Amino acid sequence: MMSDTRTLPLAEQAAAAPLQVVGITKWYSEQRALADVSFDIRRGEILGLIGPNGSGKTTLLETVAGLLPVDAGSVLWQRSLLPQHRRREVVFYLPDGVRPWDGRHVIGVLEFFASAFGRRAAELDEVTRSVGLEEVLGKHVFALSKGHARRLMLALALLTPHPVLLMDEPFDGFDIRQTREIMTLMRRIAAQGRTFTLAIHQLIDAERVCDRFILLADGRVCGIGSLDDLRTRTGQTTASLEDVFLALT
Amino acid sequence: MRSPDVAPARRVSLLPLLAKEVVELLSGRALWTMLLILCPLVGFSFFQAVALYGEASAAARDQPQLASSLSPLDGILVPTFGAFYVAVTLLFPFVAIRALGREKETGTVKLLVQLPYRIPTLIASKLTAIIVAWLIVAIPVAAALVFWRLFGGHLNLLETSHLLFGHLLYGLLIGAIALFAAAISDNSATAAIVTLVFTIGSWVLDFALAGQSGALGWISRLSLTQALRTFEQGLLSAALVLGMCSAITGFATLAAIWLHPGTSLHKKLARTILCVGLAGVLLAVATQLRASSDVSEDKRNSFPTADQRALAGLNKSLIVTVHLAPEDPRYVDLQRNVLSKLERVVPNATIRLVTIGQSVIGSAGEVSYGEIEYSYGGHSARSRSTSHREALPLIYGLAGVPVPTPQAGEDYPGYPLVADGWIALPWFFVALPLLIAVAWWRWNCHAPRIPAQFVKNGGQL
Repeated sequence: MMSDTRTLPLAEQAAAAPLQVVGITKWYSEQRALADVSFDIRRGEILGLIGPNGSGKTTLLETVAGLLPVDAGSVLWQRSLLPQHRRREVVFYLPDGVRPWDGRHVIGVLEFFASAFGRRAAELDEVTRSVGLEEVLGKHVFALSKGHARRLMLALALLTPHPVLLMDEPFDGFDIRQTREIMTLMRRIAAQGRTFTLAIHQLIDAERVCDRFILLADGRVCGIGSLDDLRTRTGQTTASLEDVFLALT
Repeated sequence: MRSPDVAPARRVSLLPLLAKEVVELLSGRALWTMLLILCPLVGFSFFQAVALYGEASAAARDQPQLASSLSPLDGILVPTFGAFYVAVTLLFPFVAIRALGREKETGTVKLLVQLPYRIPTLIASKLTAIIVAWLIVAIPVAAALVFWRLFGGHLNLLETSHLLFGHLLYGLLIGAIALFAAAISDNSATAAIVTLVFTIGSWVLDFALAGQSGALGWISRLSLTQALRTFEQGLLSAALVLGMCSAITGFATLAAIWLHPGTSLHKKLARTILCVGLAGVLLAVATQLRASSDVSEDKRNSFPTADQRALAGLNKSLIVTVHLAPEDPRYVDLQRNVLSKLERVVPNATIRLVTIGQSVIGSAGEVSYGEIEYSYGGHSARSRSTSHREALPLIYGLAGVPVPTPQAGEDYPGYPLVADGWIALPWFFVALPLLIAVAWWRWNCHAPRIPAQFVKNGGQL
């Protein structure tokens, strides 16, 4: 199932939806994890990958990022094939539940990422402030709370220059206030042209922050579009994302 | 925050990556623990070596001719480095595995492979960090060398640096195997088991197959420990250095092949086969290299200078047929005293080992058993001696070359020294471990440098 950008002329299509995922299929032994999954990612949007546990969200993100081999399918960047080994030039993926280089101090990890990606000190400062890590810079990564560990991961993603950021459960571990802060930050960054694709199982969070949704169940795409699009498909004009999801999956 | 259309292609600095890798190794407990264990191990080995060397030196006072057999390489360096070798074999894998194992265990490897570095660069930087780690764990050995010099002991620079180079190559090989093991394993424990299969498997090869002929003998030469023996003999062999470098590169390449989680299994397997094949070809080429240099101060791997010159001038084919079983001690003597030296110096020498029976007992009944036949220019002569003093005149006779006159003053003088090794023990058992423990504590407790704009209230965040 592809979104409506396919009806645009090629050049506009490439500009509007620079990244296209086409027919990705992935098997784990005898178990099919993804079945012919296709969608596109538009510039400056926040795309929500919605589905219950085990629906294939993480697998999909990792295949798009080139971190998992696929059995079929491809990824296009501006209508050109983006081979697995070149995905990291376009896409940056933040896995769930990782405390990177946990024996090091937060500032050490941030400075390493900033240096590796050629960021200036001022940019590092800005990112540090924007995700609210100032107070834990001197802590070891292993000693961070779950929320701060999440913020650190988000900071690392923001230090990369990639136009497309894939994040697995980015709000896991945040309280309501923190979630709202981070959503606001994502909105601000998306407005500057970067694209977020977020795998989220909390539908309320997804409804708050995402522009469009991909509904995933048992490795299959059950619906793509904005909440209004999905409501139209289900014929429930005031339904919540949860209702829409239940209706379409 | 910038948000370009694509991540720009640019030259990225390797320094942050190298610094990160070194810090990662220093942040692990394995390195410091190994260092602490090495202090008493190396210290005691050094103490024992000094004591034994002192006893032998005391005997040389009464019989000066014994002095020439007193070489610090055999008496001090090899035993002291022996403890280091055991520790590198058994403990260094745990240090090297940390370079990648922790990232695999925590899932950080998914971030690692997305950094703007090529996978071979990532592995090369980890290997560089492993060299740094090896240099750090070599501190107790360096301390032993310093003590030896303080005692007034003699160290030949070339001989000592050659031995250090051999141990560095050995450490790098262990490190490369550990990296490969970490790349194919999900956790450090499995990686440690895989690495120890290689290292302890080498010991098994040594015990089970050493001295065998044919294919078994060839397999026994693949043992990692065999590699060090040539360095301990003061022989710099091009074949060995190229072979070890090929093995290090091969394992590092395998680590690179298996690192990326996005590469399919069949691609990894195909590349592995190619890599193993290429490494095999390189190893085969290495075995054909004959270039070597005797860097030992007493020139134990060479005949006397005059003989070396005369033998180097033999331009016909010299064939030595040995009627001895490989496990026969006489063959070991012959190999050390004559054959290995002939192979090095005579341009066209061929050694044939005629194994008549399966064992010394089975072969000993043969009339020709124990004979060594030298053939040169259509003539041949037989001998049962394993000494070059008898073998070389036979060869000169076959070649019609006069026996060269020995040059005066080239005898190795030997370096006897009676020293009290007890003085070093408090350093290795107390002072150095204490210094290392303090360094470890300071490393763990050091506060990172926080940018000034984030520091408030007089340094409090």
